[in-house]
Amino acid sequence: MGTTTQHDQDDAGLDPREALALLDAERTRTQQRLVPDLRLLYGTWGVAWLVGFLVLWGSTTGRGPLALPPAAGGVVFAGLLVAAVVVTGVHIARRTAGVRGASSTQGAMYGWAWLLGFGCMASVMASAAGAGASPDVLGVLGPAVSGLVVGLLYLGGGAMWQDRAQYSLGVWILLSSAVGALAGHPSNHLVMGLLGGGGFLVAALVVAARGPRAGAPA
Amino acid sequence: MNDPLPDLDPVIHAPARLRLVAALAALDDGDRIAFPRLQQLQGLTAGNLGAHLRKLEDAGYVTVEKTHRGRTPTTYVQLTRRGRQALEDHTAALRALLEPVTARAAAGRSEGAA
Repeated sequence: MGTTTQHDQDDAGLDPREALALLDAERTRTQQRLVPDLRLLYGTWGVAWLVGFLVLWGSTTGRGPLALPPAAGGVVFAGLLVAAVVVTGVHIARRTAGVRGASSTQGAMYGWAWLLGFGCMASVMASAAGAGASPDVLGVLGPAVSGLVVGLLYLGGGAMWQDRAQYSLGVWILLSSAVGALAGHPSNHLVMGLLGGGGFLVAALVVAARGPRAGAPA
Repeated sequence: MNDPLPDLDPVIHAPARLRLVAALAALDDGDRIAFPRLQQLQGLTAGNLGAHLRKLEDAGYVTVEKTHRGRTPTTYVQLTRRGRQALEDHTAALRALLEPVTARAAAGRSEGAA
């Protein structure tokens, strides 16, 4: 073996240090652009829950900074949730576009878990309303069941992607939902807004602070 | 005296292909990426990307698979096991090249960590 190395003409000027830096940077950059940005997703849901639940609480009790008329409160709440769903869907679709294989199957299965969970919740709510549940019962049930679905799915996601921040968020959402349910309607809206929405925002900050894809192979 | 330097893989060492292989290695093992998305990520023209992929394919480092989604032809690119191994070997070779340099630099003047 000779000590000379043959190169293409177009690699002139790339010394080992530059080459290693290029490899590392490109790998990290590509990884970031193929996975959803959790700061954006948690931030979006944090704002939607914080503002949405505070509006709901304010419009029911006439208290707080966001006390809208009762009818407007529900509309604003629903509008914020729909907006958050759209932002989430579009963002994930863009980030994961064009990639096929085991990880996209995993992602699709996980995505369906959310749809199925909320589909099931909708039928529970419809059934409870049909059985004559009072507005107070429905007001407890709605946030509690959705919090249960969200919390459990974050526990699953955290376990699947070995993401402690996501798992912790799941635990926190479950706790917030339990506390909210015990507080009763309409105080549960305040609990879900401050603890639940606040939890999402804290999770967004934690993810931002830990930097790109902690735990990814170097 | 000359230390024997490890050979650098000329297929990978060209900057454009180094970037390309690094990007493909960012996918999980067994995942493949559509040609247009790869082109968008790399910021290369289709012709340029195609040429680099052909070289990598000839070396057995990537597979280029043409499929149809409905009536639209789609091309998917995937790093082979051999390609992943080649990148690992190449990274190790680069590190080996760097080590004596780093040692010498440390012995001489302190490194400017910029």
